[in-house]
Amino acid sequence: MFDRRGQIRIIESFLAIAVVFSAVLVSVTFPSAPDLSKQKSLASIATQALIKLDTNGTLGSLILKQLWTDIKTALEVLLPVGVSFNLTIYDGTGHVVNSEVIQNSNLLGQEAVSVQYVCSTRSQTIHFFVVRLQMAWMG
Amino acid sequence: MIILALSAIVGTTKLITPYLTDLAHRDDADRFQYLASHLLLTTGTPKNWGQLESIVPSSLGLAKCDTVQPYELDIDKVTRLNNENIYSLDYSKLWQALGVKDASFQIEIKPLFQLSIELVSDSTQGSQRVYEFKIAARKSGMPLSTNLNSYVILKDFVNETTSSTSPDGVTTVTIGIPNSLHGTALLLVFAQATVNSQMVSLGMYSFGHNSQSPLPNGTFTRLSTLDYVLNASLKYATIEVSKAQVFTFSYNFSLNAKTQDDQTVEYDIPRLLDASPMVIVLTGVNGSTSFTEFVPYPQVPLQIGPDFSESIAGSRIAVYRYTATINSALYEVVTKWGGLSDSV
Repeated sequence: MFDRRGQIRIIESFLAIAVVFSAVLVSVTFPSAPDLSKQKSLASIATQALIKLDTNGTLGSLILKQLWTDIKTALEVLLPVGVSFNLTIYDGTGHVVNSEVIQNSNLLGQEAVSVQYVCSTRSQTIHFFVVRLQMAWMG
Repeated sequence: MIILALSAIVGTTKLITPYLTDLAHRDDADRFQYLASHLLLTTGTPKNWGQLESIVPSSLGLAKCDTVQPYELDIDKVTRLNNENIYSLDYSKLWQALGVKDASFQIEIKPLFQLSIELVSDSTQGSQRVYEFKIAARKSGMPLSTNLNSYVILKDFVNETTSSTSPDGVTTVTIGIPNSLHGTALLLVFAQATVNSQMVSLGMYSFGHNSQSPLPNGTFTRLSTLDYVLNASLKYATIEVSKAQVFTFSYNFSLNAKTQDDQTVEYDIPRLLDASPMVIVLTGVNGSTSFTEFVPYPQVPLQIGPDFSESIAGSRIAVYRYTATINSALYEVVTKWGGLSDSV
């Protein structure tokens, strides 16, 4: 009689342990809300870089002269180390203007942010461009 | 059963605590980012606290007054962050002016890229000694193509040389100094990125010409700039100042003394529109020893605030990088934010 009761208690204990551990496992694997602070910081860096690159109309002038390598180098200087970027320039009708890819490494598979910036030339005929900068932290 | 229940409670508490702590600090990153932007986008109070040497700001902001450009910083507010300047503010005053009691911060301002200068060779050729310097321009190791303007200063002698770095970021500059001169010479190198004239950097190299190795900068004078005035505090009564000059990428001028007493000389600095840092060079003698000392204006690179690299592992530090303009030249501003440091 006592032996059977004892066996049931042991089984009950094991069941309780199993319940507690499964609850713990569920709580650990439960997805938490994503932390967007890194993305926000990256978006701020991207906007800043484009604003500074466009001081005195420099960016519009570089686009008009089609100096894609210079734009890439300027971004490499302005952006912190460890950031991948890809820049695409569109004209007023939405067509891609840059004939060469302006990027330092591939963004594929990385969590990227995208920032858009409108700039213009300061020539007699004013041209508007929409610049889209996509960035991600490497690795 | 009791042991089981207790261990379940303890285990659950241990597991949940970090998540609860995480929730409590969830908005820290946003708050610190807002504070970093606030620091660089507002002027502080009073608006012109940078120029007023006796004023400690009641609220902290580094932006230039009446600017239309975001992230344009005031040359004097930045200079007062450098503890080598006699008008500098210490960290505790800055922390009080920021007014956020539960946060500590570090501000670092530096050029967008670095210049390294190395003396490769020197030899006597006729009536002059010829020095060959290797100059490299790099951004975090990445070579950068730049235009260079180099000055050599020794007493009244000034030699200007223009050159440019190759795509690998390196060039060699050769400079001759007459053998009739002797003393501490200073090589100043201004570099301007070929892709953008606002991206500038500065390198300095002191060397002895027909004399022994130079003493460190600041041995004879303490040079401080504020509100376009150079204050030169002379450290010895026997010092005789011969000349003060200002150098930028495109210009150099001699400065006229504004006021002078036994221990201090003040000079007016011209407001130049060149997108370049300025370097003020003071030459003179102390007995038989000649000196060439200098101070950049704005006085960067600089770093102020607690050293977060010594923070406890796992503590939260938020780092925000900005590109800011000071006198039309671009600089990198790195702000680091964390919980209240013991060093405050």
